Amino acid sequence: MMKRNQLVLGNKTLKDITEDIVKPVETLPSKQWLSLFLSAKVLLLFYISMIAIIIANGMGLLGVNNPVAWGTMIITFVFWIGIGHAGTLISAILFLFRQKWRTSVARTAEAMTVFAVMTAGIFPLIHTGRPWLDFWLFPYPNQRGPLWTNFRSPLLWDVFAVSTYATVSAVFWYIGMVPDLATIRDRAVHPLRKKIYGILSFGWRGTAKQWSHFEMLYMLLAGLSTPLVLSVHTIVSFDFAVSNVPGWHTTIFPPYFVAGAIFSGFGMVVTLMTLVRIGFPQFKDYITIDHMEVMNKIIMATGLMVGYAYGSEFFIAWYSGNAYEKFAFINRAFGPYAWSYWIMICCNVVIPQLFWKKSFRRSIPIMFTVSIFVNIGMWFERFVITVTSLHRDFLPSSWGMYAWSFFDTGVLVGSFGLFLTLFLLYLRVLPAISIAEVKPVMNVGKETHGGHHG
Amino acid sequence: MSDMHHPHENQNNDMTSPAESKYWLSLEQWANDPEFIEMAKQEFKSTPLREGNEKEEGWARREFLKLMGASMALATASCVRRPVQKIVPYAKQPEELTFAVPNFYTSTWSDGGESFGLLVKTREGRPIKVEGNPNHPLNKGALSARAQAHILSLYDPERLKGPKKVDGGKASDVKWDDVDAEIVKQLGKGGVVVLTGNMTGPTMKALVTDFCSGFKAKHVVWEAISYEEIREGQKASYGDDLIPFYHFDKAKVIVSVDADFLGTWIAPTAFNRQFSSGRKDIKSMNRLVVFDSMYSLTGANADLRYKIKPSLQLDVVMGLAHEIVVKKSQSKFAGNASVKAALEPFAGAAQKLGIEPSKFTQVAEDLWKNKGESLVVAGGLQGSASHAKELQIAVNFLNSVLENDGRTVDAKAAFNLKGSNKDLFQLIESMKKGEVKTLIVHRANPMYAVTADMGFAEALKKVEMVIYTGDRVDEMGAVSNYVLPDHHPMETWGDSEFADGVLSIHQPTIRPLYDTRSLQLSLMTWAFMAKVGPKRLTTPEIFYDYLREFWKTDLYPKFGKGKSFDAFWDEVLQTGVISTGKVEKASGSGRNFKTEALSNVKPVKSEGTELVLYPTVQFYDGTLANVAWLHELPDPVTKVTWDNYVSVSIATAQKLSAKEGEYMEVTVGSKKIEVPLHIQPGLHDDVVSVAVGYGRTGAGKVGNNIGANAYALAQWSKDGVVYSGLSASLKKTGKKTQLACTQGHHSMEGRKIVVEATLAEYMKDNGANNHKHKVFSIWSGHQYNGQKWGMSLDLNLCTGCSACVTACQAENNIPVVGKKYMLEGREMHWIRIDRYYVGAPENAEAVFQPVMCQHCDNAPCETVCPVAATTHSSDGLNDMAYNRCVGTRYCANNCPYKVRRYNWFEYTTQTEKPLHLQYNPEVTVRPRGVMEKCTFCVQRIKSARNQAKIDKRDMKDGDVQTACQQSCPTDAIVFGDVNDPESKVSKIFKTEPRAYALLEEFNAAPAVRYSVKIRNNGQATRNQDGAHKGGHA
Repeated sequence: MMKRNQLVLGNKTLKDITEDIVKPVETLPSKQWLSLFLSAKVLLLFYISMIAIIIANGMGLLGVNNPVAWGTMIITFVFWIGIGHAGTLISAILFLFRQKWRTSVARTAEAMTVFAVMTAGIFPLIHTGRPWLDFWLFPYPNQRGPLWTNFRSPLLWDVFAVSTYATVSAVFWYIGMVPDLATIRDRAVHPLRKKIYGILSFGWRGTAKQWSHFEMLYMLLAGLSTPLVLSVHTIVSFDFAVSNVPGWHTTIFPPYFVAGAIFSGFGMVVTLMTLVRIGFPQFKDYITIDHMEVMNKIIMATGLMVGYAYGSEFFIAWYSGNAYEKFAFINRAFGPYAWSYWIMICCNVVIPQLFWKKSFRRSIPIMFTVSIFVNIGMWFERFVITVTSLHRDFLPSSWGMYAWSFFDTGVLVGSFGLFLTLFLLYLRVLPAISIAEVKPVMNVGKETHGGHHG
Repeated sequence: MSDMHHPHENQNNDMTSPAESKYWLSLEQWANDPEFIEMAKQEFKSTPLREGNEKEEGWARREFLKLMGASMALATASCVRRPVQKIVPYAKQPEELTFAVPNFYTSTWSDGGESFGLLVKTREGRPIKVEGNPNHPLNKGALSARAQAHILSLYDPERLKGPKKVDGGKASDVKWDDVDAEIVKQLGKGGVVVLTGNMTGPTMKALVTDFCSGFKAKHVVWEAISYEEIREGQKASYGDDLIPFYHFDKAKVIVSVDADFLGTWIAPTAFNRQFSSGRKDIKSMNRLVVFDSMYSLTGANADLRYKIKPSLQLDVVMGLAHEIVVKKSQSKFAGNASVKAALEPFAGAAQKLGIEPSKFTQVAEDLWKNKGESLVVAGGLQGSASHAKELQIAVNFLNSVLENDGRTVDAKAAFNLKGSNKDLFQLIESMKKGEVKTLIVHRANPMYAVTADMGFAEALKKVEMVIYTGDRVDEMGAVSNYVLPDHHPMETWGDSEFADGVLSIHQPTIRPLYDTRSLQLSLMTWAFMAKVGPKRLTTPEIFYDYLREFWKTDLYPKFGKGKSFDAFWDEVLQTGVISTGKVEKASGSGRNFKTEALSNVKPVKSEGTELVLYPTVQFYDGTLANVAWLHELPDPVTKVTWDNYVSVSIATAQKLSAKEGEYMEVTVGSKKIEVPLHIQPGLHDDVVSVAVGYGRTGAGKVGNNIGANAYALAQWSKDGVVYSGLSASLKKTGKKTQLACTQGHHSMEGRKIVVEATLAEYMKDNGANNHKHKVFSIWSGHQYNGQKWGMSLDLNLCTGCSACVTACQAENNIPVVGKKYMLEGREMHWIRIDRYYVGAPENAEAVFQPVMCQHCDNAPCETVCPVAATTHSSDGLNDMAYNRCVGTRYCANNCPYKVRRYNWFEYTTQTEKPLHLQYNPEVTVRPRGVMEKCTFCVQRIKSARNQAKIDKRDMKDGDVQTACQQSCPTDAIVFGDVNDPESKVSKIFKTEPRAYALLEEFNAAPAVRYSVKIRNNGQATRNQDGAHKGGHA
């Protein structure tokens, strides 16, 4: 049997672990954090003003037009939804598969999921022409007689998929945090802190019965979340696949979107984790190079899946004999938006191949760079799907180009302001690594225990 | 009394002066104890208001309640969603006017070119839409885009609200009475000239003549696009100074040399109707051969199109004559030596033109085979080269050779187009000599359309008083002394005789909006005040009386057989038009061609780059430049909006190494303009073309400084004006813009979109090239038990004239978005006309295809709307519930025809008043964030259905006419109930072998059918795959 590497480095005691993890919560923020937070905050305010201006004046401020009626907002929506998938995968699926290494990254990955879904969820709401009427998208009882939502519309399925996802992820994330919140409460000196964390921890006492209930609930929620990893992006892909636009109307979309989502999600997890390691050096003992390497392996694997999907689309476009579909794909690769297609291919298929080499997989600068490229590439994947399919469809007379504007850049960049603000706050007020889950695995890989038992 | 009621007050007053107090109640009072005084001030012992120290204790209960009540009331008031606005119905309902029921009035309109019989639709006293008068023998219910759009000029916010005195370009208010007095004084000095645009109305002509006789004034008629060359050619050839009537419907072979008769030449709407009627019976359809310098709309519809240079126009016509008369010795001129001598220099025309000689010969043979049933036309601005008159002589000769004169060309019914550049030239000369003391300018804008080097502006300075009747201080107004705004044509009376024997009445449809006065009344007033002129001019108080009197004395005796004048007059107003039938049937009498006229017809030197100036379908001479609808209407051929540009061929663009949109300096002699470049397939390499009608500086907010004024490049001389064949050079300026072209791609990419077949293919198989697909569905489909609306578009008849686009815009309250947003792909037109080029780019042929919502049975838009805002109606319409739409735009993505239009901004409320008066109250205006699209004019369906109910009958075919169908001059659009076996449209759906559904294999099951376009080009097959692949993105 292969020898298992240690999951927690530095010969920590149980107390050390608690001290290390709650340190950011219990100390004053560093200057670096403050400056990052303020920048994120400014970006968030910018984002809010962008949205306000767009809602006040109309969708015409963005580059959407005829024939490209969906643009940055939908692209960025799918981008953020996709990001979220890694968190759920790590916390739910890997939990069910008893992957012990997940314990130290799960909390933050899941936080990322919740914040990414929040960031994503705003887009479908503000991309409508009359956002103040968005509640019509929900099937609530009303007095309009037979006029209800149209259950045949994939956009409606989307409403359910995303709202379910947001709810389940948030609950799962929060429930997992309860024992740790109680730890902070117990350590708190200031009465206010004690009161706040006391409320947040739902009166957790750590009794055996509570632990038993907790484990059961956590398992159930993991079971509930697991299908969501597959279903949410499947349904998001239906927005495209169920329509009849050449380049959208393909059956490969659900698995392709899910693989892409996990790919992009892990890309974002790696980006954030490398940054967390820099910001909180004590976390290096918990989020080890080994952790990063495993995630890089997943990036490479899902990157290959995505690459396979790209190839498969082309094959089917040719094999189907559908002239419109054939044209759509040739146009993707060689039309006026070819640059975006090749950015996508480079970032998503070519660059992750670096991870074949072990030393690259374990190099922080390289993995950070690759993860940034993956993020860029996956945004462009959604750009390619949305824009290049729409801009040239059936009747050549209606062909056109997307009219990218300042506001497109504004909402895209601004959405990072929302995400980063939430994420930075999270790092300071909540335990970024699961104390309760790390402690049981602190001895994994240690000589005395002979390691692996899972 | 008051003392008794306010004892305390009295006491208080008393207390302040104890010495005077007589009565006291207590020792404290007597002693003026301050505590007591304070207590006595309180009304109650224990106060509900406040006790003790105000500052310390804050608000008292009662005050609190009071304020709370008030703020509640305020808060409630601020939540009232809309202020109450009461509307009041007519207290006294005007006769003949029912609230919400439109009234239609017959009228007439012309912008100096074609003249139309109109039906003006008015609602509650305001005109909202212009439709063609079906009684009018020329436009027969159809209407051009410009005629549709001119209603906007009525509500133009920039119209003058009253008379103005202009000094140094600055306008100040004046009173009509003061102006009149001064003008009458001035008119008494003599030297009066009335300069007007073309006048087709006999009454108006009589009135001006009366005025001129009274003041010994001269009348000069001038139009920027005058067709003077035709009159001169006719005069030289036959001795008739007129523009003959043309019968395109009676011609089997039509050869046009730069006469854009389907676009802008003389009477394009009437000619479209005639031309298409010769193509309805496909087996005997006409053949159109066009020799085109620019890429005209007529050229785009040609069966055979040959690109030429303006300097080769004579070679075409004389070359064809040479083929017939000399080579084949045909026609009565065959033996004539002088004719032969005149034709001999044109022997090698085909080679010179670069056309395959056999093909050229074929054209000549076709013409001869159909002699008496053929027609050769040339002219317009494109035909106004230095040899314009000779070209007309040659055309007349060829028509005489072919015995067309009297059959397809009829001098017995002439067009009343009398504009003369020569006369204007003379006028300018005499102005320079100081012979003109007063110049009255009416519907003419020489400051804009005459080149600066003619010195019109300088000549004006020698005129003591310039009076202009324009509706704004435009180019002409700025250099006038008085701008006395005329009524808008919709506010004034008049009549028109556009072609001989077609008299139509011009009724006002709204009371004048502003303090304006018609020129007619002005002339009458001035004559009355000066006590000059015939009695009929000075006696009536208003022009209406003059008009009625004129009709009574001059026209009634001719036309009013056996009726009282009142009955006759009422009938004229009702039907709107009187026709003697002259234009419907050719007279049959040919004229003798004067062969000596040919002696001056010599080949023209042809070298270098030649410039062609041309009018556009949208703007013609540029008069309506402030009408936004027309700027938004894509040019029928280039599909460019909001600009003019210089068109060059692909090879020339490469030679200049210039790209689309780069600004070019176009130089003719010493004159130059800067316009962006447009690369035009199918253009001659040595020809560049620029549209006139742009570059206005006094048109208004909408039309100012859009494009460049190409009139500035024309060459004026006493012999006329040269607009075509000007030797020009092009230079890059380094500046760049983007042309707002509504169609980004011009090739069909080999897809089955517009299906074409040659006549030969059609004769073999009536469903030629119309490959039907086997489509099936696993669903049962919609059931239509009652009506099911459908539309058919015959691509063989559609000429792309674009009248339908503007008609739809007017009917359905469609907003304009402007150049910036056109560039971003935000045009709002519900119907668009796609134009594809076919064949090699250097000789590209064009096809047109109007596309609107196809009202699919399996509508892809309906399934994807999350809120069910777009749904299927029981009569097959794809309905849009604007109120329900939240604007996800999913439907637009899923529409394979891309016909859905989105309100990117709040367009409706941005409409400047009083333009909103044009809105059709029967059609909802759409708010921001809502999707819209063609409704098949559902409001017309509903009102026809209501009418049928009122009449207690079933609806019948023809009850509903959509706006696009109504304005179509070629009857290419048929609309009706597909479930009615007798309806025209159901017959086309079921039996027309040419009919096909667009993107049929997609199985959206549209309710629109297109019919295969047939090219009568003499070729055996038309290979669809020949569609050129390299479009422009």
